[in-house]
Amino acid sequence: MSLANKIALVTGAGTGIGQGIALGLAHAGAQVAVNYFVEPERAEETVRQIHEVGGQAFSVQADVSQADQVFDMVGRVTEHFGGIDILVNNAAQQPNLGLLEYDEQTYDRVMNTNCMGYWLTMQAVLPTMRARGKGRVVNISSVHGKRPTDFDVVYAMSKGGVKMLTREAAIELARYHITVNMIEPGAVAVGPKSGNSRPIVPPEARSEHRLRTRSKFPLGRVGRPEDIANVVSFLASDQSEFITGASIRADGGSMLL
Amino acid sequence: MTSARKLAFISDGAAAGARAIAERLVSHGMQVMLNLGPGQDEEGAKTAFGKDLWESVLWSRGDLSQGASAGRVLSQTIEQFGTVDVLIHNSQRIVATSVEHADCRTYQDSMAVNVKSAFFLTQAFARQPTLEDSRIIYVSSIHAEKPTGSSFVYSVGKGALGMLAREAALDLGRRGASVNVIEMGPVEGDDQRFASEISDLYQYYRYKVPSAVLGTFEDLAHLIWFLSLPESRFINGSTIRLDGGFSLHYMNHKMKLGHDQNA
Repeated sequence: MSLANKIALVTGAGTGIGQGIALGLAHAGAQVAVNYFVEPERAEETVRQIHEVGGQAFSVQADVSQADQVFDMVGRVTEHFGGIDILVNNAAQQPNLGLLEYDEQTYDRVMNTNCMGYWLTMQAVLPTMRARGKGRVVNISSVHGKRPTDFDVVYAMSKGGVKMLTREAAIELARYHITVNMIEPGAVAVGPKSGNSRPIVPPEARSEHRLRTRSKFPLGRVGRPEDIANVVSFLASDQSEFITGASIRADGGSMLL
Repeated sequence: MTSARKLAFISDGAAAGARAIAERLVSHGMQVMLNLGPGQDEEGAKTAFGKDLWESVLWSRGDLSQGASAGRVLSQTIEQFGTVDVLIHNSQRIVATSVEHADCRTYQDSMAVNVKSAFFLTQAFARQPTLEDSRIIYVSSIHAEKPTGSSFVYSVGKGALGMLAREAALDLGRRGASVNVIEMGPVEGDDQRFASEISDLYQYYRYKVPSAVLGTFEDLAHLIWFLSLPESRFINGSTIRLDGGFSLHYMNHKMKLGHDQNA
C-alpha cells in the first residue's frame, strides 16, 4: 500500500499507538504531522525516527479538547504541507478511575479529549479535505467502546461516543468522498503513557498479569503499535474507498474468548 | 409481581414519556419522584399529568445538566427518603446539527443533558450504603447504534450512555443492583424530530415497523415497570431494543402496503 504524496495528521502521536501509526504512515510514504499535547520531546522523537528513514514530518502542539487550538493546529499543518488527506484521531486520556473516583473536572477532560476532540479535529480538517475532493478519517477507538473496562468508566463512555460519531460522520461526509472508519484495538503493549494515568496493574503483579493476559489472545500475543498502524494504513489508502462507517477490531481475537 | 413502596426517581419529569412511566409505577404502588429542570414549569407539568396523578407523585427541582449538581439533586432525595430504589434516566435533548457545522456550545449542552447528567446521577445512586435489589434504567434510543443523519451529537451521547450502562452493570452488579438500557424506537413525531436530508430512515417510518404500528410511551412504561421488579433481577447489563422490529428493516419495503405503494 502506497501513501506517497499523501499528507496525514495523527493526534497524540508522541507515544504508544499514535507513534506507531505515525511511523507506519511515514513508512508507506505519507508526510506526517505529529500532534502532541504536553511532551514535545516525545513528538520530536517520533519526527526524528521518520526523518531517519527518509520521511517528512514535523511536530505540532495542540490540546484537541480546545476548539481554537485544534483549528490553529490544522491551519499550521495545511500551511506546512499544503493540505491534509488523512486524519487519524488518536489522542486520548485514560486516567483509569472507577465510577466513584471521577470528579467533574476529570470527567470533562476525558470526554472532551476522547470524544469531542475527535469531532473538533474532524470538523477542522473538512475544508481542506473538501478542497482536495476526498479524504480519509480513521478514529482510534477501543474494544472498550463495546465491552466495559471495569477500570475506567468514562474512558469506555467516550469510546461508545466515538462509535456513533464515526457512523454519523460516515453518512454525512460521504457526499464529499470522505470516508470515516474506526479501529478497535485490544490490549497493545506500549511504553509509558503521557499524562497521569494510574496503572491498571500494579508493578509487582505485572509479570503474572502478562502471562495471564497472553492466554487471552488466540494469536498468542498482545498487540503491537504496528498492528494498529497496518490497519490505519489500509483504511487511509485508495484501496479502502468503499469502506465507510465501519469498525475493525484489531485485538488478536481476544474479544472472542 | 410487586414493586410496592419502592421509590423511583425520574430524571426529567417534563419529558415525553414521564407521565406514562409515572402512571404505570404509581398504579403498582410505587412512590415516584419527578425532577423538574430550571426552565420547567410546575403548573405545566401538573396540567400534563392531570390533577390526580400529579397529587400522587413527589417532585424535586434541580438542573441536572450542570454536572456534579445532578448528583446533589439525587443525594438530597436519598437523604430525605433514606433510599432511592430505582433510578430512571429519561433526560434527552435532540438538536438538529451536523458534524460539519455544529458549534461547541451545542455539542456540550446536548452531551450535558443526554450523558453527563446520567453519569453524575449514577455516581450519587452508587453512594447509597446498600444497593441490594436496586435498579438503574437508562432510556436510550435506537440511535445508540443507528445514525440519525440529523443530530450527530444525540447519537454520540446515546453511544456513550450505552457504555455507562455496561460499566455500571459490572460495577454495581457486585452490590446487588441491576443496570440496563432501553433503546427506544420510533414513536409518533420522530419523523419530525429526526428529519434529515441525508438519511431516509424516517420516511414512511410507520411502515418500516413490521406490524406497521408505532411505539408509544406506554410501551416504554411497561418495560420500565418490569425492569424495576424483583423478578427482573437477572437482567443486568442488557441493551433492550424497544422498537417493534423497526431496526431490522432494510432497504425500503413498506410493511402492510401493497406492491403499488411500494414501487
